[in-house]
Amino acid sequence: MTPVRSAGEVLEAIQKVKAGATAFCTNFFPVQSKLENWVAHQELSFESSDDVIFFLRKDRDFAHLYFCASNPAAFGDQLRRFSSIPTQKLAIDLVGAEASVGALLKLTEEAGFARYSRLVRLARAAAPASPPKPPTAVEVATEGDASAILALIEQLFDRFADQLPLSYEIAAAVAARQIFVVKENGRIAALLFFETQGLTSTIRYWLVAPHFHSCGFGSALIRHYFSSQTTVRRFLLWVAATNDNAIQKYQHYGYAPDGLVDYVLVNGSAKN
Amino acid sequence: MKSVPEILKDIRPEFDFTTSYDFIMDGMLDSFDMMTLVSALDKNFGISIQGTDILPENFKNLQTIEALLRQSGAKL
Repeated sequence: MTPVRSAGEVLEAIQKVKAGATAFCTNFFPVQSKLENWVAHQELSFESSDDVIFFLRKDRDFAHLYFCASNPAAFGDQLRRFSSIPTQKLAIDLVGAEASVGALLKLTEEAGFARYSRLVRLARAAAPASPPKPPTAVEVATEGDASAILALIEQLFDRFADQLPLSYEIAAAVAARQIFVVKENGRIAALLFFETQGLTSTIRYWLVAPHFHSCGFGSALIRHYFSSQTTVRRFLLWVAATNDNAIQKYQHYGYAPDGLVDYVLVNGSAKN
Repeated sequence: MKSVPEILKDIRPEFDFTTSYDFIMDGMLDSFDMMTLVSALDKNFGISIQGTDILPENFKNLQTIEALLRQSGAKL
């Protein structure tokens, strides 16, 4: 694998694959700012052939595998070759409408990856939400909260499926005032981490720490979130399809499936 | 045949695409929406948008999408 040294290098490599594409397919949808961060933090490397390019993004003890391929068959062939060197734990996300990911899912499984999780995207149109009821105090997270926020996210979410943030992402979200917290005796009892881009806002993590369930903190956070995002027209999030409890909560607040799914698969090294 | 604003409205009915000059920065279209839009434009206009043209700058606003359609052989 070759380390990626600039975002331009990534785009150039993708263009080479696209140029001869008959049925271009990909799972690589980074926004420019994320791509630049990955490059700056030396997380990204790549390997390319004429019709397929693989990107690996380092994350904790494994790597996310992304691809751009001129057609699905080329992707399958190259993935089998690529995954025959099982030296690293790999996770791959296949995103799209349910009907459109079937072929890539089959090819990925044939290359030795196993289904790990299935996420669904939920969407909510903007609608007035009643503000949190006192006395729950929702605060914007500060720099001093960053390590506790990361520890809670790592404790309660899944590293392969949930695209866990690294400490620099937490720091950036804190600086952008995109993490709300509820504290009890100085400890973070609940948090909501979101990203707003123009008219769309995505919840990345919404959690209540184990000892603080049924205190109304989660409800206070999400109501505060909706009432603070006054210019947002579309609210999004991804949730595990099997997490009925969370899905019911989101539906209560007006979210509904929008048809996109994300199959997360891992290779043999990650399963062990 | 539908117009480009009508197709965009089918994909994201909650937004008014006639008021934005940058659909991506304004959070009206994400990468997944772009792929949906490409399929809808191909079908509606009987064209095939090239892989090399599926770039954010070509989907920035109504003018850039219409320019892309003309370049791809669509009759607007």
